[in-house]
Parts: sequence; structure tokens; C-alpha cells
Amino acid sequence: MERKGEVLTLILAGGAGQRLYPLTKTRAKPAVPFAGVYRIIDFTISNCINSGMMRIYVLTQHKSISLDRHLKEMCSIFRPEFGEFLETVPPQQFIVSRWYAGTADAIFQNIHLLEEKRPNHVLILSGDHVYKMDYRVLLEWHLSKDADLTIACVDVERKEASRYGVMEVDSDWKVIGFSEKPRNPKPMPFNPDRCLISMGVYVFRTETLVKAVIRDAKRQTEHDFGKNVIPELVEVANVYAFPIRECLPESMHYWRDIGTVDSYYEAQMELLEPSPQFDLFDSSWRIWTHIGQQPPTMIRGSKCSIQNSLVAPGAFIADATVIRSIISYGVRIEEESNISESILMPNVIVGKGCTLKRTIVDEGVCIPPNTTIGVDDKSDAKRFFISKQGIRVIPVGTIFLETPQ
Amino acid sequence: MAGEKILIIEDDENQRLLYKEELEEQGYRVIEAANAEEGLRLVEEENPDLVILDIWMPDMNGLEALTRIYEMNPNLPVIINTAYSAYQDRFTSWLAEAYVVKSADISELLDAVKRSLESRSKGKKD
Repeated sequence: MERKGEVLTLILAGGAGQRLYPLTKTRAKPAVPFAGVYRIIDFTISNCINSGMMRIYVLTQHKSISLDRHLKEMCSIFRPEFGEFLETVPPQQFIVSRWYAGTADAIFQNIHLLEEKRPNHVLILSGDHVYKMDYRVLLEWHLSKDADLTIACVDVERKEASRYGVMEVDSDWKVIGFSEKPRNPKPMPFNPDRCLISMGVYVFRTETLVKAVIRDAKRQTEHDFGKNVIPELVEVANVYAFPIRECLPESMHYWRDIGTVDSYYEAQMELLEPSPQFDLFDSSWRIWTHIGQQPPTMIRGSKCSIQNSLVAPGAFIADATVIRSIISYGVRIEEESNISESILMPNVIVGKGCTLKRTIVDEGVCIPPNTTIGVDDKSDAKRFFISKQGIRVIPVGTIFLETPQ
Repeated sequence: MAGEKILIIEDDENQRLLYKEELEEQGYRVIEAANAEEGLRLVEEENPDLVILDIWMPDMNGLEALTRIYEMNPNLPVIINTAYSAYQDRFTSWLAEAYVVKSADISELLDAVKRSLESRSKGKKD
């Protein structure tokens, strides 16, 4: 086992997150609040911390202020005395005067970081996935296979696989084919109904990575790992799959890519199930975050009813009904309001007598008394963003001008 | 195959002269720059097919010049030609098509020129 100092972690957090609009209206996708106290990137950062990967650069780009601020607040547990760091790096334009053209270009433009740290291996992660992974096990696997690149993967039903990068492997888990979003995905060797998909979690031998991104940078491509770099490496290098179901304990078999408003919503509703696959209460794998100092949650009044919900510290709920919802820190819900299957982000205020159903209310929005959202499709469609699955989103900065109903 | 335009960016005049003669003998057209700034100007104005680039130059580090050339034309092959092998480990130097350490025998350089131009024309056909 190599020492942890020989691995450098790069987290890609620069995407525009268009499919998650309007939640990404004012912030990068990894900074979108999640499950009451977290932001999406906390899951990846926590995996790093819990795995001892303490040398982390987060490559940011679009709307990165709140992400920057959040990570700065989390930095205090990293000890520079031991060579540990968590730093955000916006585009520096050392090599070219443009923004990142793709994931591979983001690494290419940051070759100087690899030059400076000279790690033997580079762990490349995404800032917008919800999962638990012990990267030490991944690294051991990578070293034991003497791989140039190891790609963490999970199996999914074949009909779902077309949305992802699909891998073909031999009996030793060597990758022999890779296609990004294929129309006709190839199934796993011993299971015709399932496919192995890339989780966007990679360990590269540093030299392999640098050569691959330079080669890609000289070509007219989309400069994307999945579309351009990996399919080529599979042909010329030692590329292995790291099958999480085979290699990690069951508590680490869950993985969600938070791509759209609907997947964002679903991933949080899954946390409210009786025994969720992703367990936030698992004391062996804490999810780290920073929400500042919050008072205890206050539940006031004899008619208050809260069921199957996550309620964060600093929430204040007075004589209201909350069912299957996520109530973030600093939220205030007034009397006779009825919140169901909804997500209230930090510091939302819901006035008296409101009804919210299947609604996401973004940070700091004030819902005036007697407002109803999520019941009438027609009137909601005129006022709010509605996702494919019918989830209403009330974005940051929304001001309710109409007379309360 | 021959007839391609090669730009030599090299501050040592004798070295330039030697390369120019040898390359012209192989049928290449040769243009010269005695420093990096002039070299970068010629990359833009003369649109060469290949660049031979020194690293130690008075006005600019050749590795910096290499990234500037990349930005101007990502597909332009560059061969680093230096007396020092130490820069070979620098990731930036990997942007170059080849890294040839200066020696009295210039056949390695000529081979690298030939190979780079061949793979470039192959790449164009692809």
C-alpha cells in the first residue's frame, strides 16, 4: 500500500449544471443544498476525509462563490502541517486563455498542479454525486492490477444504461470496451440484463493521465473523459474496472448522479424511506459539512405533526403538519401550514396556512400566508418551474407579488 | 513528402546554421528565429509545418514558448532541442512532439522531424 501522500485528488466542480436549473441559477451544482444540512459536494469531500485522501484540489468555474465559501469553512480540519489541503482552483489560464472546454481540458489546463505536487496517482472525482466510497480500497485494487487507469463502476439495469458510460470487461475486470451513452449498451459477461456503468470516479497513474489529456488537447474533440479520453485509453493502456458491489460493503453500494431536478428530488426522498439504502446515520461513515452555529430545532404547539421527515437544527415549526419532507436549517414554518413531500432549503419562511406539496423551495424564499403550491397544475404552470415529474421549484430570489389566495 | 516549412527557434547562430544546412539538404524549407519572441511572431506570420525549439534562450524559457505556440496552433508539432535532458520530466515539455538532446550527431533530430511530419500528415488524413 502506498502512502496517502502519493495520491492527489482533483474534484471536478466546474460544470454549468444546466439540467439542474433553476437550482443552479445562483450557484454551481456541487454547492446546491442537500438533505437539510449538506451541499452536494459534501458527499465526495466526506469520502475523501473518511478515506484519508487529504490533498484535494477542487476545480471550480461557473458561479463558484458559494461553493468557495462553503469549502473554505470546511478547510479547518485539513492540516497543512501534514501536507493536507482542500483548495479551490478557478481557471488560471496558464496555458490557454479560455474556460474549460470539457472534463479532460480541465485537467489539461491544470497540469501545473500535478507538476507541483508530483503524485504517483491521481484520483479524479465529480462534485455532484451522492455515494459513499472508501477510496483506499479503490487505490489498493488499482495498485494490485498494476493499472494505468481504474474506473469505479456499478451495475444497472440494461434499459437504464444508455444514459451513462458503459464498460465491457473480461473475467479479470479488465476493461475491453467503453462507450459513452450507447444506444445499444453491451451487457455484463454473466448477466445479460445488467450493464456496468462508469461512476465518473477514476484513479490514474499520473503519467498516463498527463499524456492522455495532452494528446486530447491537440485534437478537435469534446475534451471529455467519457467521450474521448477513456475510449482511446482502453485501446492502448491497462484499464480496469472497480466493481463496487464486488469490492465494497453493502452500505457503499448506493450511487446517484444528481443530474436533473427530478434526480435531485428523488435522491432526497429516498433518504426518507423506512430503511434507506444511503444511511445518513451510519456512524462509521460520517458526512462532513459546515452549517455554522445553529440553535436546536423548535417544535411548538399541540397540533404540530411531523412524520418521516428530516428536520435540521435551527428549524422552527409551529403547529404545522410536515409529512415526508426535508426541512433545512433556519427554516420557519408558521401555524396551520401543511408541507408534504417537499424540500425546504435553508432559511425558507413559510407563512401561516400554506399548503406545499411536491415542491422545492430554494434558499431564503418567503412564502406568504395562505399560499398553495403543488395542488393545481394549471395555475402553478403559470407561476413556477415544473419538472418532468411534476416537481415545483421556487428559485432563489422569488418574490410573491400576487394577493395571497 | 519534402518541401515542408520548418521554423528553428534557437539563440545559437552556429547551431541554426548547421540545422538549416542539414534540413535544406533533406529538401525542407527553413526559416529561423534567434529568440522566442521572434519565433512566436514567425509561427503566426509564416505558418510553419514544424518547429524546432531550444529551451535556454535569453528572452523566454522554451517551455513557456511551447505553451504559447500550443495556444496559437494546437496542432503544430514542436520538437524540443536542448543540451539539457532534465526538462524531459517536466509535464509541460510533453506538449512537444519529441524531445531531442543536442549532440554532435544530428541524425536523431532529423529522424524526429521526419516522424513528426509523417504522423501529422497521417493525422490530417484521419
